Amino acid sequence: MKRLCGADTLVRMRAATRSGRDCSWLRFERTRFAGRSARATRVLLIALIFLPALAHAYAGPGAGFAVLSSFWAIFVAFLYSFYALMTWPFRQLFRFIRRRNAYGKATFERAVILGFDGMDPDLADRFMKEGRLPNLAKLRDKGTFSKLRTTFPAISPVAWSTFMTGVNPGKHNIYDFLARDTSNYLPFLSSAEIKGPKRHIKIGKYSIPFGKTEIKGMRKGTPFWHWLGNAGIFSSVIRVPVTFPPEKFQGVLLSGMCVPDLKGSQGTFCLCTTRASNDKFREGGVRVPIERKNGVCRSYIPGPDSPLAEKAGTELRVDFEIRPEPGSKSARIVVGSEKFTLKVGEYSEWIPAEFKAGMGFTAHGICRFYLKEVSPELEVYVTPVNIDPGHPDLPISHPVTYSIYLAKLFGPYATLGLAEDTWALNEHVLDDDAFLAQAYGNHEDRERMLFDALDKTKQGLCTCVFDTTDRIQHMFWRYLEEDHPAARDVPHSQHPQVIQDLYQRMDRLIGRVIEKIDDDTLLMVISDHGFKSFARCMNVNAWLHQNGYLALKDGKTESGDWFEDVDWSRTRAYTMGLNGLYLNIKGREKQGIVDPSEADALKAELQKKLSGLVDPASGAVGITGVFIADNVYRGPYTDNSPDLIVGYGAGYRASWDSVLGKVTSQIFEDNIKAWSGDHCIDPRLVPGVLFSSHKFIEEKPAIVDVAPTILKLFGLKLPSHFDGKAWTLAVKAASSSGLAS
Amino acid sequence: MAIAAFQFSLLTSPLAIVIALSLIVGLLMVVLFGYTSDQKAIGQAKDQLKAHLLAVRLYRDQIPVVMGSYGKILRGTGRYLKLAFKPLLYVIVPITLLIVQVDRYLGATPIPTNAPFLLTIHLAASTAGSDATNDATLDLPPEITMTAPPVHIAAENEIVWRLVGSKEGKYEVKIAAGQTAGAAATVTKTVCVGTDLPRISTVRLRGHFWERMFSSDEPALPENSPIDSISINYPDRNIEIAGYGMNWIWLFFILSMVAGFIFKELLGIQI
Repeated sequence: MKRLCGADTLVRMRAATRSGRDCSWLRFERTRFAGRSARATRVLLIALIFLPALAHAYAGPGAGFAVLSSFWAIFVAFLYSFYALMTWPFRQLFRFIRRRNAYGKATFERAVILGFDGMDPDLADRFMKEGRLPNLAKLRDKGTFSKLRTTFPAISPVAWSTFMTGVNPGKHNIYDFLARDTSNYLPFLSSAEIKGPKRHIKIGKYSIPFGKTEIKGMRKGTPFWHWLGNAGIFSSVIRVPVTFPPEKFQGVLLSGMCVPDLKGSQGTFCLCTTRASNDKFREGGVRVPIERKNGVCRSYIPGPDSPLAEKAGTELRVDFEIRPEPGSKSARIVVGSEKFTLKVGEYSEWIPAEFKAGMGFTAHGICRFYLKEVSPELEVYVTPVNIDPGHPDLPISHPVTYSIYLAKLFGPYATLGLAEDTWALNEHVLDDDAFLAQAYGNHEDRERMLFDALDKTKQGLCTCVFDTTDRIQHMFWRYLEEDHPAARDVPHSQHPQVIQDLYQRMDRLIGRVIEKIDDDTLLMVISDHGFKSFARCMNVNAWLHQNGYLALKDGKTESGDWFEDVDWSRTRAYTMGLNGLYLNIKGREKQGIVDPSEADALKAELQKKLSGLVDPASGAVGITGVFIADNVYRGPYTDNSPDLIVGYGAGYRASWDSVLGKVTSQIFEDNIKAWSGDHCIDPRLVPGVLFSSHKFIEEKPAIVDVAPTILKLFGLKLPSHFDGKAWTLAVKAASSSGLAS
Repeated sequence: MAIAAFQFSLLTSPLAIVIALSLIVGLLMVVLFGYTSDQKAIGQAKDQLKAHLLAVRLYRDQIPVVMGSYGKILRGTGRYLKLAFKPLLYVIVPITLLIVQVDRYLGATPIPTNAPFLLTIHLAASTAGSDATNDATLDLPPEITMTAPPVHIAAENEIVWRLVGSKEGKYEVKIAAGQTAGAAATVTKTVCVGTDLPRISTVRLRGHFWERMFSSDEPALPENSPIDSISINYPDRNIEIAGYGMNWIWLFFILSMVAGFIFKELLGIQI
């Protein structure tokens, strides 16, 4: 860029003139001065017309960016590819030297495990017999179809933790969604603990966090894809529950159930409404007023607490505007720079929601809007604010770029662990159709992720868990029965075939997966548990109270949530969560009164009294078995387990109040919520399901066996701490699936 | 008063003008790009590109995936450029005209007073060997003086004069050539001497419509003139930043890109 200065030119001019000989300086000058900038401009125009690349660079910043980023993309891709190609032989050699010829002893090149959370073997069998599930029937006929024994208790986080670690809960430390804090009898999430930075610096009104947010995974044990990775076998793991926070291994992983929303909860929806109400949702949602002013309605999405606020609980918000158009039953919604129109009964796409705390702190979320009503009242439902997968503020994948990769490839998607908003349907904020639209929307995203993983993982493990089966059965079991309390207002003949449709949809998915695999791929379809009706609720705390094991403060006949008004000085046992029953043991619980030496006797007494407990209203057995934890669990984390596991009978489950640590006056009551099917009962009554493309010889397979089986099929030695045993594959040639035919 | 004058001079300096221009153009072009492009498609194309880039990194041990992703990146880049082409068509004309016009002011500096400069005429090829090259003369205003006899370069059909301007101003130099051949007599060429920001035309041309449009600010030379072009070697104008001089176009390019980047973020426009 530095050009010849004028003085230099003149010196040479003078010298040439003086000597009166060589005039080459003139030629030099001619080329230099003859419209230099003009030539540049001409080149520019020609470039603009004939060379789009260079042209962009000159045609203003917009096109300039386009060209620069294109070149950048190609350049970076080239570098990456070149690096991958050049280092590949060395990586292979390195593995060979370390005796990691990964697939040398493998029976299959690839294992594909599809988890259909909650798929029930009895229903699957029934629908197969009715000819509704041709692809699953093909697996049954050519490979394996069996019940799959589940865990104690039969709860998803427990069962999937066992699936991935190959051990019982005593070794992986997950016994329920919730665990209890013995110092205050309050619950906490059992799978992960998130702690903000410990240090803060105060600047004016701000309290600036200093340090990193600490996310601690509570699930112990090693997922079997880590063992595969150590042997050089690549895995793609999508939405397997209790994989948050994601751990490092050789492969890619997107976390599933237990990923929180941006508020840190397991899903808090928001109902924005002009309808005046002081009612609070029992859980899972908040009501936010819509304010009308000059024809414009304004509301907000509640977000996480401000990390900069001195006072805890200062909520961040994203304001939005709604312009209802009652004539067309629609409304225009403006959220930040996003503007969209929704008709009544319609969902928006995923909309970015940026919660700004100030000083550059922003929490990035995404949510969907659903227009419920525009006239006479205006109501908008907003999904829980999910962590933005394209800009994750918390790690939700391994590597972190995997969630970003999926977001760029397919667009934003639900990241919340329990993404299907069952609470909103329970609370009548969403109707059946709106819930199904949401659930299947998420399901389609996961199907896309699965097929991308299948394309990318030609060798190794590919596993994906679909929650849709669980959520839809929970919410629509009421339509399977003639007299379910939650569906008594709808004649049985008008009950929609939601669950049948669900199973058929999953079957079609299997069909498409079968098209993608060959005989050197093992396909397994498993579920963590089955399903049964949830028609009657049982409050074990109420039973404990009425039978003298749990005491309330004087004058109280019921407690509040989380044992408010419970007199711990006179309480010997209590329940919290879905199946756990705890003794109030001296030295363990803060106000414990049961001497440890008397604990075994008390457990036996409770087991005897509760087992076979009959519901006086129906005469049915409400509790078919109570299991003493010492007999069920073994391992280093048994101290954290409940003392007893309550196994409810089919049709029964812990009441909604009992789960929240509330003592009511009634022990049994009808369940009238949409959440009408369940599996948190006697695990013997709700086994999961096992389908496979190749035949296994195993009489009573269990979910704990999956990890050892996969390791064995890849030719790896089984870790000694495994509780499961590897299934025997019928001779591969003989058991060749022949699915393609 | 002195401070105000200094501030004003800063505001009218070439650097200030380029900065202001870059900001305005950055903003306008980004807005124009936003209105004339398919924002959703561009966003998707960019996302796809990023996804395939990440795939190369995520699946680096799987060569078929790496190569497949690389192929998709090349295809994606083509699609992205195609999407950027439509807005390019809208901005190409105004931007080009703007650059041409601004270049008249910022592309070169006037001839400094008392500094020698060259005036070159290029004669038509048909005059080669004729008297036209010998009878070309200059009629100079009093403020411009010739400091050396003209140099004839027969091989190039050119005649070069070395001149000096003694006073700031805009002058017309009359050039006569080809009288003996009966061709058109006298033509003129403007010469700018001084330090300001005058509109400068480095060359006067005959014919060459497109060339004149982009490089000359003077009327075309008469068709029957033996002179093809008259040019003056105005020094290039370098804008100094941190001791480093650069042509205004490069500075404009960089600054307008930076401005565009900022405005696209502020306005939420996908580029």
